[in-house]
Amino acid sequence: MKQIQHDDGGKASQKPAFKRFWHQEMADELNDDLSTGTFPQVKKKPPKTRRSGRAKILTSILMTLLCALLGFGYVTQLQNSQSSYSTLSEDELVRLLDETSKQIDNLESQKSQLSEQLKSIQSAADKQKEVERVAKENEESSGILSGRLPAQGEGVVITIGQKDKHIPASTMFTLIEELRNAGAEVMEFDGVRVVTSTSLLDTENGLNCSGQNVEPPYVIKAIGDPSSLQNAVQIAGGVGSQLRVKYGAGVTVKQSDNVQIDSVRQSTDYKYAKTVE
Amino acid sequence: MPAIIGLIVGIVVGIFIKPDVPIALQPYLPIMVVAAIDALLGSARAYFERSFSDRVFVISFLSNVVTAALLVFLGDQLGVGSQLTTAVIVVLGIRIFSNVSAIRRFIFRG
Repeated sequence: MKQIQHDDGGKASQKPAFKRFWHQEMADELNDDLSTGTFPQVKKKPPKTRRSGRAKILTSILMTLLCALLGFGYVTQLQNSQSSYSTLSEDELVRLLDETSKQIDNLESQKSQLSEQLKSIQSAADKQKEVERVAKENEESSGILSGRLPAQGEGVVITIGQKDKHIPASTMFTLIEELRNAGAEVMEFDGVRVVTSTSLLDTENGLNCSGQNVEPPYVIKAIGDPSSLQNAVQIAGGVGSQLRVKYGAGVTVKQSDNVQIDSVRQSTDYKYAKTVE
Repeated sequence: MPAIIGLIVGIVVGIFIKPDVPIALQPYLPIMVVAAIDALLGSARAYFERSFSDRVFVISFLSNVVTAALLVFLGDQLGVGSQLTTAVIVVLGIRIFSNVSAIRRFIFRG
């Protein structure tokens, strides 16, 4: 009988009184059995029943906590393992460093190559631009020279009023030559652009300028230094006085800051002449 | 059941909080996780063998984790940290495989 109580150990005294009594009752019933002459049987209780409900709850909470810790740690490690080098060994780190520096070298050489290319392209573009600028300048100056483009600038406007006497083409030609000598850059004779191939002819109807009949009063516009152009016409014994004295024509020379020459001459197609390459 | 609930809760919390691992703990965390997985699988095997005890599970879990971390810590002190980490991982991996095969035998009776 005593053995059974000892089997429970010290814990038995902590159990509720009812349970203790019930256990005792069962044990007594077993032990007081007199039907056989055998020794009272001493059964070991299974250890499972020893534990109370509170301990079970505690352990299950602990289990939950531990599993939660495992899941938490797992996810944390998952999120942090991508960017950490601390788990790599020394060899791996050295290899990584080598690879990175090799990559840097490659990229540097690529960069220098590309910048060289860029430089050459830029210089080519600059050259191209320079060529374009010169071509444009040439085109403008040659356009003005050949009479393809209208021009404006300071110069003089000469008006020659013819009286009864006809002014011959040669005198007019002299006037144009004088203006040219005085540095006239662009000239217009009564609405006809004066270029290298411009001709002046005496006809029955009067003057003919490059196939176009011109009527007095003749208006000659010239772009150049105004004072020297005026001097060229008005100089004593010059073409101006010749016109006045010989032909009784009225010659007025007016200086202007903005002489506008709008008449142009269509460029001719050269049949024989070719540019030298 | 509490184990599964705990796992889910831990993963969800980890996903939403996104904590930074302190540098001192960085080499130990993966080992601890692997050790915990081993303990979990061991307990699952015990469950199928009808000898599961939650107390044993708690103790084995903690001892597994602590032992693994301590081993790696010792290796770090001795300068063989990475090798010892590998050793621990290998041992735990073998255990995990044997546990899984035992569980499979219980499930498929093969």
